[in-house]
Amino acid sequence: MFDLLPHILNGLTLGLLFALIALGFMLIVGLMEQINLAHGSLFALGAYLAMQLTGPRPPFPAEIAKAWLALPLGWRYAATLIIAPAAVGVVGIAIEFCMRRTYGKDPLYGLLLTFGAAMVIEEAIRLIWGTRDYVLQVPQAVSGGFLFQDLIWSTYRFYAAGISAVIIGLVWLLIEKTPFGATVKAGAHDSEIVRALGINLTRLRLLVFVLGTMLAAVAGIIVAPIWGIRPHMGVDAVIPAFLVIVLGGVGSFWGAVVAGLLVGLCVGLSGAYASEWSLLSMYLLLVAVVSVRARGLWGKKSVLEA
Amino acid sequence: MTASPSPSSDAARLVTPAMLVLWVVLATVPLWIARVGLYPYLGIEILIWSLYALAFNLVLGTAGLPSFGHGAYFGIGAYAFGLCQFNLAANLWACLAASLVIAALAGALVALFISHRRGIYYAFMTIAFGQIFWTVAIKSHSITGGEDGLLKIVRLPAGFGVISFDLTDNVALYYFVLIVFALALMGMWRLVHSPYGRVVAAIRQSETRASHLGYHVWLYKASIFTLSAAVSGLAGGLFAMAQLAAFPDVMSLHQSGYVVMMTLVGGGLVSFWGPVVGVFLFLIARDVIGALTNAWMLYFGLLFMAIVLFRPEGIAGAAAAAFQKKSLGSIRRQGSSAMRLLFGGERWR
Amino acid sequence: MALIEAAGVHVRFGDRVVLESIDLVVPEGEFHGLMGPNGAGKTTFFNVLTGRVKPSRGSIRLDGEDVTGLSSHRIAAKGVARSFQIMTLFDEFTACENVTVALPSFRARGFDMRRAAAGDNGFAETALEVLATVGLADKGGVRARDLSYGDRRALEIAVALAQSPRVLCLDEPTSGLGSDGVQRLAALVGRLKGKLTVVAIEHDMEFLFALADRISVIHWGQVVARGTPHELQQNEWVKRSNLGRFA
Repeated sequence: MFDLLPHILNGLTLGLLFALIALGFMLIVGLMEQINLAHGSLFALGAYLAMQLTGPRPPFPAEIAKAWLALPLGWRYAATLIIAPAAVGVVGIAIEFCMRRTYGKDPLYGLLLTFGAAMVIEEAIRLIWGTRDYVLQVPQAVSGGFLFQDLIWSTYRFYAAGISAVIIGLVWLLIEKTPFGATVKAGAHDSEIVRALGINLTRLRLLVFVLGTMLAAVAGIIVAPIWGIRPHMGVDAVIPAFLVIVLGGVGSFWGAVVAGLLVGLCVGLSGAYASEWSLLSMYLLLVAVVSVRARGLWGKKSVLEA
Repeated sequence: MTASPSPSSDAARLVTPAMLVLWVVLATVPLWIARVGLYPYLGIEILIWSLYALAFNLVLGTAGLPSFGHGAYFGIGAYAFGLCQFNLAANLWACLAASLVIAALAGALVALFISHRRGIYYAFMTIAFGQIFWTVAIKSHSITGGEDGLLKIVRLPAGFGVISFDLTDNVALYYFVLIVFALALMGMWRLVHSPYGRVVAAIRQSETRASHLGYHVWLYKASIFTLSAAVSGLAGGLFAMAQLAAFPDVMSLHQSGYVVMMTLVGGGLVSFWGPVVGVFLFLIARDVIGALTNAWMLYFGLLFMAIVLFRPEGIAGAAAAAFQKKSLGSIRRQGSSAMRLLFGGERWR
Repeated sequence: MALIEAAGVHVRFGDRVVLESIDLVVPEGEFHGLMGPNGAGKTTFFNVLTGRVKPSRGSIRLDGEDVTGLSSHRIAAKGVARSFQIMTLFDEFTACENVTVALPSFRARGFDMRRAAAGDNGFAETALEVLATVGLADKGGVRARDLSYGDRRALEIAVALAQSPRVLCLDEPTSGLGSDGVQRLAALVGRLKGKLTVVAIEHDMEFLFALADRISVIHWGQVVARGTPHELQQNEWVKRSNLGRFA
């Protein structure tokens, strides 16, 4: 059993990351009743931008680049955790603008549109960075490993789990404890009420969309050292996001977190037996779950029930 | 005086005038393609992808089901061709049959799991299955050659007993593919315009109503998906022959997306010929615009997004609409004229 | 033996009881009305009758045969036709095509992939006959979505009739129609009386009371009153409730 412990911990770490990705996805589905298939490619974009920012050739004008490179990696990494998601958020704004025409129509339009956006983003990634694998540099403090009970543990995984938990906590605070969060919850429940209360629904949707995309991007940055950086890494993010909201229901915060942990554990444990195929377990789980049930453990009937 | 609805006479035909025109034009392609700065292999690609896209559109356009992982069946057909050639029989007909049958089996298996759904769940399931097949193809190095692909596939001769045609030359292969394309095209046209096709179109418009009329909706959805996978597999087998190898990348989500984009841009949602138009545009864009810039695919993707937003009826649909306005205004004839022939069998959204 | 026998039909969605042990017996040829306030469970009962919803308890017998829990296509094939409150026509098809696809003879050819559907005029003739009974014979070639609302309602009925049903379930057929449309519909349905067994959900009291042989009143998922229109007019509960004016 103890042998499984690293895999269980891996699974929980992944689970927290999946929960993070899924939360962004879920906020968008809840408020806009649109599935954003580009969520995965924004996740990937976050990783790529972070890699570029922390690498030897940051995308700044020469003067700033010099100053930037002079900073220790730790500072640059920390700043990247803010800058890269912000940049992806801008891309998110562009996508949301495009999606506006599809609100209220058959959700298939939103699906097709964001599918196109995902293709465009992935193509842009291939153009800019090519198809080779990249590695994200992380500061000394969180890399490497340590010895405990005769096993080598990856420091980074603990860091990844920790920071994911922190961000999830922040999202929880935002949704549960702020007026903004209350508005989002109301809007997800009934968009007409929000309009009737005089709140600018358009701006609310934009903000939620941007928040969702930023969460995807930051998840991409955190996962990058674990999964590696490849142009098609986005699929492995959007599928668990969907799976999580199917399991946990749309609109249930803790449903998403618990479901995320379940999916992560599934992937982590299958990694114990067939490490090459561990991600495959996620797809098999999706097939099993959607074949059997539709409504999720906590959530209510949603736009997905087509 | 009751006016009976006049069905488009094309719908009742096995071979429409549009098809004949198309085949004649296509038959002449090897003669002039080099002169316009292109090459015969492109013709082969256009035919194979058209076959694939038409098969795909049976699911998207006719049945109204979003399949985002269709590359799996195209790819399985390609691998089946190669594996049959290496392990079973190096016979063209056997290998093509293998492509068709194995892809059909894969399609039937997937259909079992997804046919009770529609919309977004359906889409995600097709993506998941596509990823499963793609992962298996990449990881099964001993069978499929993994990321390197299944190489050394050979263009088998087309044997008819006493005579046999060597297909190693691109022009010869082109004509062979053209014949397969023509036969499959007739089959798909007839399928779409048969009672079965009519029922599937009804199911697209309202599953509830169709079910309450006594139709076993699940069975129709499952069967059209299987048929589509079969023909996609056949196209894949031809593709393996054309490029002398089978690679896993056609099964990736990214490349499964290509056929979705081509079909929609071309107008597959409203026109039988939409997919062909889309393939044509895509491959010409790849070669002509691709020669100028590496970002041609990016532009195509943006075009796709624009089409979804503003002109979901696609190119074929927009052309037919523009034409009908004109024809009603200027010609005012009930019969079909040249343009309407080309875009016959419209199903408007 | 009655054509429809519903016994103890009980439907729960989660912890909400929508239908509570409904009993209903409809003899062949009867026009049976269902009325009651919105949300009372009438459409849910129809859904059980037509196989769209499985009851938690209870049974439905069609001509003595137990059809409880059968899927809707199986029940439809046994001769139960339904029109919907929110219209579900095949909008891209013409009126004629809508009716054709409902014909049992067409359905028998449902898996025919080899012949052309358009070429077969036998279907077109039968379809036009059906359209004629609802007064749409001259609109056969018009796409369903281009028809007027009243014509679409008539087409809904035509599609149900095309199935040559034994039981016709009409879910609020007069919904949205003006008085002309309602009269037209009443005349049409009146012609069907006796030839078919009809179960109709309606809010229009005049319509229902003029046509129905018996009416069941459903409220909060239960049958609170049942009888001929005359009997119901005397019923205290019905008189006190807000179910509309009676002729």
